[in-house]
Amino acid sequence: MIANFITMNGHGLYVWLSFSIVFISCTVVYFKTKKTLKKYEQEFLAEIQTLSLEEKNKTLETSNVAKQILATSSKAN
Amino acid sequence: MFKFFSSSNIYPLIQKLIKFINSIFFLILVIGLTFALVLSPPDYLQGDVVRIMYVHVPSAWIGLACFSVITLLSVLNFIFKIKNFYFVNKSIAPIGLLFTCLAIVTGSLWGQPTWGTWWAWDARLTSMLTLMLFYTFYILTFKLLKKKEVIIKVSSIIAIIGSINLPIIKYSVEWWTTLHQPASIKISGSSTIHSQMMLPLMVMLLVFLLYAALIFLMKYKTEIIRIKKKNIKRN
Repeated sequence: MIANFITMNGHGLYVWLSFSIVFISCTVVYFKTKKTLKKYEQEFLAEIQTLSLEEKNKTLETSNVAKQILATSSKAN
Repeated sequence: MFKFFSSSNIYPLIQKLIKFINSIFFLILVIGLTFALVLSPPDYLQGDVVRIMYVHVPSAWIGLACFSVITLLSVLNFIFKIKNFYFVNKSIAPIGLLFTCLAIVTGSLWGQPTWGTWWAWDARLTSMLTLMLFYTFYILTFKLLKKKEVIIKVSSIIAIIGSINLPIIKYSVEWWTTLHQPASIKISGSSTIHSQMMLPLMVMLLVFLLYAALIFLMKYKTEIIRIKKKNIKRN
């Protein structure tokens, strides 16, 4: 039964190759996208750290996005 | 109404949606794969090779859907000048390209055992390849051009010209004699696919849609952060 499942009556190569290509491509794209997102989050936080206290407070007051990123990063840490 | 689309309003929603999709995705993927590889019956004519349909068809549908959305948003952006649509399109295009490529590759792997060839220059296959080229040109405008106004104009023109190809893809199997089979699933009219195959196909479509949504949200979130970072630098 397991052998049948693997060989798929002689079509196993095509079926498994199709599913593998889709799975691998999607996984690579997922991790690449996640890595880029993390990189930009880190760069954004680093940019905020370079600001003076006054500028930092002003940015956090005016930008909801900045607040959210800061909150997410502090949760992660 | 368009104020809703501002990044400040959307950003918290994106965070929540990413979390939600991440929490349910693996479970639906396992269910989809079980249906597609184990529970679904082999085709009476094609045998087990029909299982490729469960990755090929959703890929092709999403590839087409992404380009349709890009065209619609390009037209709307032209009329209403909503800058967020530019970032939405920029985030959708790579997903569309990925799924169009996957549809072509898995279609080729399906074609070899059923038609006896990896590739044929027939109407459906050639029009899908054309769609892939339009996606490539579209993405290249973001990579190669510098001025945002020029990018919006050029990418919108590519999207609008490329949209002519969409009905050609859809009706190619009816307008020309092709190796590719006619559509088995119809929105209007009765589908010729058995429910035992329809259910796995719908579950796999849901898996692909969730994946596409997840990648889109992550890419869109990256775009928002990139803009906010630029704004900090300007201040």
